[in-house]
Formats: sequence, structure tokens, C-alpha cells
Amino acid sequence: MPARWERIHPGLNFHRNILKLVVQLKLCLSVLILVISLPGLYPGVEKIENPAQETFTASYAAETHPVTDLIYITENGHAEFTSSVPLHTFTGVSDYLTGMIDFEENLIDFYLDLESLKTGISRRDRDMYRTLQVDEHPFAEFTGFFSGSVDPDAGGIQSVTVEGEFTIHGVTREISLDGTLEREGDSIRITAEWILDITDYNIEPPGILIYRVRDEMDVRIDALLEPRERGEM
Amino acid sequence: MKIGTYLFQLPATLLICLLLTEPSTAQLERERALPDAPVDHIFWATSNVGLNTVLGMPSGNLNSTVLHTFGLVDGGIDRFFGLDDGANTRIGIEAGIHDRFDLGLGRMTFNNIVDLRGKWNLIRQKRDDSRPLDLALSFSLLTNTQSGMGFDFGDRLAWHSSVMIARKINGLTLQLSPMIAWYNAPEAHFFPASADTPDRLIGLGIIAFYELNDRFALSGEYLPVLGDRNPGSEDTMGWALHIDTGGHTFQIFLTSSQWHNEAHMMANNRHNFLEGEFRFGFNIHRVFGLR
Repeated sequence: MPARWERIHPGLNFHRNILKLVVQLKLCLSVLILVISLPGLYPGVEKIENPAQETFTASYAAETHPVTDLIYITENGHAEFTSSVPLHTFTGVSDYLTGMIDFEENLIDFYLDLESLKTGISRRDRDMYRTLQVDEHPFAEFTGFFSGSVDPDAGGIQSVTVEGEFTIHGVTREISLDGTLEREGDSIRITAEWILDITDYNIEPPGILIYRVRDEMDVRIDALLEPRERGEM
Repeated sequence: MKIGTYLFQLPATLLICLLLTEPSTAQLERERALPDAPVDHIFWATSNVGLNTVLGMPSGNLNSTVLHTFGLVDGGIDRFFGLDDGANTRIGIEAGIHDRFDLGLGRMTFNNIVDLRGKWNLIRQKRDDSRPLDLALSFSLLTNTQSGMGFDFGDRLAWHSSVMIARKINGLTLQLSPMIAWYNAPEAHFFPASADTPDRLIGLGIIAFYELNDRFALSGEYLPVLGDRNPGSEDTMGWALHIDTGGHTFQIFLTSSQWHNEAHMMANNRHNFLEGEFRFGFNIHRVFGLR
């Protein structure tokens, strides 16, 4: 049965609906502001501390790049390390380096399933996985950003510097790496080399007495990233 | 409006706002590169105490093995618990020809047995359980190379073949390996041999292997002979402690048989483990890269 005031003046019901709509819009706006201010609400998404992002994005736009929804992705990049023990050197390789570059957001994100690394001797692989405790820490990861200017559309090989967090064996450290970036058709090729001191990541060099794996190993990556629509992510 | 109305509308509004707002910066979701990769470390070595395991040598890998067994421990301190009674030692290698096929060659002290062996890994157990078992075929050709026995080369030969089926569950690997062995001239391999000695033996190898941690594992094996058997022979049993040192795998064990291949374990073991007739032994395995 209608309320008493509705029976007296049916037009009041219309005004009541308008009032409800305004209240809901205000509520929605409040929640939107709340959501924007709390990026941690998204599981698995971390806001990267990136002081260069604003300047990069501004300079990128200022260089008349069209606003693009392209992100560059690889799932079969090449990663390898070279390590040594006294009188012997060995190399581990993987073609399962996975990563992306988002030039709009100045975000670089790569990871490698460590169990995809093979040294050529099954027994040594097993020991390596144990040393890296891959059951607990299956991935080596880098998440960062370009710290200098970069033009993904430029021809030729560009020297680039990236900064970010590198994680392996459950230990995360801030690192800065020098590498190259080159456009190949629609794709982007990136390469980088650096020296990784495994003791920085609480990895005990395997071996017996003085016959131990050297603390420092040379790491090299080479990946061709192909464009993909942001909406496909 | 009533408070109850707000409480009802708030979750729905929040959900709509979340759906309409996309994150601007997101990492890739971490996914394993090889979710259907074979299960690793199903065994730590290509053989257990005396039985072959499903583990093969992949291409480019060379496994070297040194296997030892001594006399029965019941000799006491006078015989230093069997170590004074002489060792039967087998020295061998196994080379990966293909990722699923290896060939091996070895020589044993007893009867100067030389054996050529091969192992073919037909099926590998997958992590995602799309293939729940490991299955491998093995064969070996054995010859008694002792001089002065008066046998033709053909008489000295024996053949052995087995199907090895294994599954690993949470660090525990179980293997069954039905096997058959033929002996061209039983008297060249059996001791003593008589007119009613069979020239063919069938057995069922059973291995249980349990990883205690990354360094240590325990295993037991049992090889009953099924059907006709060499008179006086006993089924072989052995128990081992496995130690992974990072470069080598050591197997320290007690076993009833002093022989180092299934064909001669079935034919010549005359000791019953459960009656206290066992001996000490140890195996050493080391894998080298060929590339």
C-alpha cells in the first residue's frame, strides 16, 4: 500500500527517485576515489616506485608518438648464465624467458622459470635446482623501468639503462642494468648482460672444500618482443 | 532513505566501480614454463642396489659406476664382517645416445662377466599427471669371459630383458620390473648346474625408494624368482642408504646377493636376507658431460 504522502501527492515519488540517483552517484564517486588511491586492492599488482615514469611518459608523448595500446611481449626469450669451477666453465641456457615492455607506462617485467635452465648434464641440473631451491622460489624476476630516454620507434641499436628490482632465491635487490634495444619490424629486440654475484642473494655456491662454483656468474639475455594489444593481456 | 537500503546498495556499487576501473600498471602473471615436464629425481641413479631403475642417461651424459659387494657379515670381526672375503666389483659406464636411450658397458669380477646393456625410456611420468607412470625397457647381453672353461663363445652368452614401471608420489618412488633371462649354456653361469637346471628364469623386481631430504634417501629392493628356479637359489633382498654429495651418489647397502646384474642375481644368489645372510656393499655413481 502506498505511503500516506504518496497518496496525497503522487509526484513526490519522482523527486524521491532523483534524490536516490544523486546519492548513488556521490557514493560511486567516493568509491572510485577510494579505489584509485588504493592500488593494493588489485591482487598481484604492485605499484612500481618509478621516479622516472612521469618524465618518461611526458617526453614520450611530447615526441609525437601516437597514443598506443600496444604492449611488447615475449614468452620464448633466451637467457643464459656462464659459471665456473676451478679448471672448468659451464653454461646454462633457457629459451623460456617471459616478459613484457609497456612503453606507455614505462614498465619492464621479466621472469624466468629456473627449472627451464639446462646445463647439458642432468645431474648438474638437479644440483642447481636444489641450490636455487626452485620448489620454493621457482622464478628469477625483474620488474623495473627505463631510467633514461628511449625511443621504441627509432632505427638502429639503442643503448638503454633500466632500473628495478631483481629477485632470485627469494631475495630482492635493487639493480641497474645496461642493455640494448632495437626495433625489428613490428617487434622489439632487447639484450642485456651483467654479472650476478649469487652470494648477494643468499645462494651458497655449491661444491666441496675449495672446489666450488665461483660466486660471480655472467648472465645474458636476448629476447624478441612482439606487439600485442593491451586488451589482450 | 533507510540505512538498510544503503547497506544493500553499497556492495553492488563497489563491484561496479571496481569493474569499471582498470589498473594502469600490472606485472605479468607468473606461470611455470614446463607444467607438463617429466617428474624429476624419480631415482638418483641408474641402478639401485642390484636392480636397474627407470632412470636413463640423456644425450650427452655419461654415467660411471663402481659397484662393490663383500662377504657375508656373519663372518664377524675375524673376517672383518665380510670385507676380508674379497669383493665382487663391477666397473661400468652408461652413455646417453638419445634423450631417451642409453647404452652401457661393464665388467664384473665374478666369472669375468662382461655385459652390454641398453635402456629405452618409453614413457616419462609428467608433473601434471597427464602421464602417471615412467616406463622403460632394458636389455643386456652378458658373456662369461673366464679363460680355460672350454665353452664356445655362443655358450658363454646370456640375455636379460625387463620392463620397468615406476611412479613417484611425494618423494616415494615405487618400481615394478618383470624380467626374463636366457642362458645359452646354464653351466657357464649357474653354480652348480645340473641336467634339470632351467635355461630361462623369470623374476619380478620390486624397488621402493624414499627421499628423506636433498641429501639422503632410503631404498629397499626384492627380486623373487617366479616359476622354475635354479636349485638352492634364494630370492634377493637389499636395503640401501643413498647419499647425494653434490657430485656423486653413494649407495651404502646390505644385500643377500653378491652379484651385480639381475640375470646372475636370479641364477646364483644362495643367501636369504631374512635369515641373517647378508653382506655389506657400496656403489658409486658419477655423471659427466660429454659436450
